[in-house]
Amino acid sequence: MSPAPEQPSRRGFLNWFLGTSMGAMFLSVAYPVARYISPPDVPEAQTSRVVAAREGDLKPNSGKIFRFGSLPGLLVRTGDGEYKAFAATCTHLNCTVQYKDDTRQIWCACHNGVFDLQGHNVSGPPPRPLEEYVVNVVDGEIVVSRS
Amino acid sequence: MSGGDSRLLGRLLDWLEERAGWSFLVDLGKKKQVPLHRHSLWYYLGGMTLFLFILQVVTGILLLLYYRASAEEAFESVQFIMTKVPFGWLIRSIHSWSANLLVFVLFVHMFSVFFMKAYRKPRELTWLSGMALLFLMLGFGFSGYLLPWNKLAFFATQVGTDMAGVLPVVGHFALRFLRGGEQVTGGTLTRFYGFHVAVLPALTTALLGLHLLLVQKHGMSVPPSIAAEHKPGGEAPKSMSFWPHFLLRDAIGWCAALGVLAALAALFPWELGEKADPFSPAPAGIRPEWYFAWMFQTLKYLPAHILGIEGELLGILGVGVAALVWVLVPFLDRSPAPGNRVSRLFTLAGWLALAFMAVMTVIVYLPQGH
Amino acid sequence: MRLLKLAPALVLIVLMSFITPSLRAEEPPAKPAGPLPNETSCFNCHSQLDGAALEPTKLAAEDIHFQKGLSCHDCHGGDPTAIDDMDASHNPKKGWIGKPDRLHIPEFCAKCHSDATFMKRFDPRARVDQLSEYRTSVHGQKNAKGDGEVAVCVDCHQVHGIRAISDPRSPVYPTNVAETCAHCHADPKKMDPYNVPTNQFTEYKTSVHFHAIQEEGDLAAPTCNDCHGSHGATPPGVESVTSVCGTCHPREATLFRETEAKKKMDLSPCIRCMVCHSNHAILSPNDEMLGVGKDSTCTGCHAEGDSGYAAAAKMAQSIEALKGSLAQATSLLDRAERAGMEVSEDRFALQKAKDGLVESRVLAHSFDLERFLAAANGGIAAANAGVAAAKKAFAELRYRRVGLGLSLLVILAVILALAMKVKELGARPPA
Repeated sequence: MSPAPEQPSRRGFLNWFLGTSMGAMFLSVAYPVARYISPPDVPEAQTSRVVAAREGDLKPNSGKIFRFGSLPGLLVRTGDGEYKAFAATCTHLNCTVQYKDDTRQIWCACHNGVFDLQGHNVSGPPPRPLEEYVVNVVDGEIVVSRS
Repeated sequence: MSGGDSRLLGRLLDWLEERAGWSFLVDLGKKKQVPLHRHSLWYYLGGMTLFLFILQVVTGILLLLYYRASAEEAFESVQFIMTKVPFGWLIRSIHSWSANLLVFVLFVHMFSVFFMKAYRKPRELTWLSGMALLFLMLGFGFSGYLLPWNKLAFFATQVGTDMAGVLPVVGHFALRFLRGGEQVTGGTLTRFYGFHVAVLPALTTALLGLHLLLVQKHGMSVPPSIAAEHKPGGEAPKSMSFWPHFLLRDAIGWCAALGVLAALAALFPWELGEKADPFSPAPAGIRPEWYFAWMFQTLKYLPAHILGIEGELLGILGVGVAALVWVLVPFLDRSPAPGNRVSRLFTLAGWLALAFMAVMTVIVYLPQGH
Repeated sequence: MRLLKLAPALVLIVLMSFITPSLRAEEPPAKPAGPLPNETSCFNCHSQLDGAALEPTKLAAEDIHFQKGLSCHDCHGGDPTAIDDMDASHNPKKGWIGKPDRLHIPEFCAKCHSDATFMKRFDPRARVDQLSEYRTSVHGQKNAKGDGEVAVCVDCHQVHGIRAISDPRSPVYPTNVAETCAHCHADPKKMDPYNVPTNQFTEYKTSVHFHAIQEEGDLAAPTCNDCHGSHGATPPGVESVTSVCGTCHPREATLFRETEAKKKMDLSPCIRCMVCHSNHAILSPNDEMLGVGKDSTCTGCHAEGDSGYAAAAKMAQSIEALKGSLAQATSLLDRAERAGMEVSEDRFALQKAKDGLVESRVLAHSFDLERFLAAANGGIAAANAGVAAAKKAFAELRYRRVGLGLSLLVILAVILALAMKVKELGARPPA
């Protein structure tokens, strides 16, 4: 009993269709998995430590705002070349503070709050000091982490 | 057959056959017959459960490439997976949705096996290993739920392990063993992670292997009512071979499940919520995952004390006794003949249990905030 | 010969006279110059009397003077050693003054409190100018003219049982000052003869300063004497209101001066802080105070048509735009985050918008529209960037859905192929 003439080509088409669609499905699974496995731009969640700058970015007696999680941080290079880092959210009404190189203090433009380089609130409305972070210089990078 | 590709494939398969003898598997598949009758649809559930479990293993392994099991980092690592890892959101949402789907399908599989009385001799061990697998899967669900370390999971775990503490004699030890201490802490998280990725998978591998071997050995069971319809000497009962007929149909189901999960992951991504804070008070409306909800609701209905014994304890013991009877059903309902009184009693009990669990589950989710 | 026999005894006596002084019993220390504060004849007698005569002794334990070793006679004179002898104790020749009359109390206290040498014995930092300050005050001027009703030292500091001013129970401790002043200043019977209003305490109690001192315990917040002076109590003149408020609010005061310098205009009608903020009922400022609405403080002086009115309207509009944009950005970002999108970087950028909002509100005090708009527009730009970022996040979500749709199509194709294969295999005879 030989199969009807159309059947082999239909069967052939079906096998091809099955093979191709399964191949497509395999690709649509393999592609996300492959992308998932390859390391993302940032290797880990940046909540506890962050690279704030590279060595040489900051001159002595200057400051820079960097991002720590979803809040701003302030990196200060003191006149002696030492690095210090603080949470840059003013403890009065949450404005972002800045470093003033003339008074060598941290200043909040909103209501004239002043903090010293220990983070203590020394003048103006801020009721509490700024949180200080731990700074380490590793391989030319300034790494800031929570204490 | 189309040309060059399949010849290459054929040559490869022959090479493998000479060395690994893999074709015995295909022979096994071709020989295995699946009975065809009005209840045959339920036969697909075992395979579906297995498919979903394998999916969990795959997505789980992918997740543990980025997950961190400490109280300080767990939540942030899941957030990282959801937002910074390419397609991390997909893998994680599939893992969470599939976990729930797996438990659901598992329960349907168990009840269908129960009602079809597939636990009778010689399949008692299959039933027992299956029940053990059920408890392992519930353990996977309970331990995995805590891993994102969010508020909901933290308190659900607290309530759940409190229940364990109510047991007489072993209760306090069980509570401390589960929690890794007196309270739910980062130590609990690490311990649950160990259970979830090492202990439970190892036990599952062993029991699943046994379960599948036994199913292969005994073949598919036919419900007593169907078996009685085929008088000896009459026409042979209809069946289809496992390979390729049943397996192809199985594959349709698996593809459909995959599609459903992809849709759920993309349209209803699994929420992360807020990070757990052991010092903040429990938010209102804490409840365990849906597959424990019926137990939770039952306990809520029990009065504080019954005949001088704590209501909660009685509730848990009651559920325990019922579960024991359920596990031992192959030894309690032995009769091969349908229509037997004991047999009908157990069927009825099964329907009552199913109805009870369903109603209790629904009540938990009613808007009155039960 | 006999002298030689006595020699050992003599040597012994000489030696003993060196040793024995240290063996002799310790002499008791010298008694203080006068009797101890509560051992004076005054205290002795008055503690046994009753009624008003007993009061001073009951309060002695809390009195700072007693604690420093002074006693009744140091103020009232008399002889503290004449125990049980009233006439001798009350001896005018020994300086006894008795109860001083009210009008002369300032001089009475100033006997010691204006004497720098005397005060330095007890506190090197003590001020000694209270009396001269008092004489500049309204109370002091009226007292000098013979008005016995106005406040004198004891009305605020009490008579006996005078606590140190650092003692929270003292009537002049910051948390108690307002009530002390209100004893007279909130009493119409006392104030009407002078035509002085009596609503200040009630108004002050509604203020943020009162709340800060009483409820938050923030002693840096002002009470009556911080703006009016302690002894030289005078309401600040119009020209000094800015300076008075500016002692704690320097930024706002600086902003006025900067605008006056830059625009060469005289802002004095605007910058009496109390014009917008009231003098006693200083409430939390809100955005409704700015602009031309019904709660605006600008329309008190500015009418439609003048440039100030237009500027106020523009400022209010700007703030509302900023707040609206900020609220929209925040809610969109929240939604995006709940849907699983990464938004922490965008939230960070939104901080600039919040900074802009706080800064513009402060810059309202410069009355300089350009400066105000510079800050507000910076904030608006940041907020708009946040909205754009949230929209980008939603676009990513849509991209996912497209991806889902495509993969579902592929899966559907596979299912179709499988179904067709199943059907085809079913047609063939079983193997």
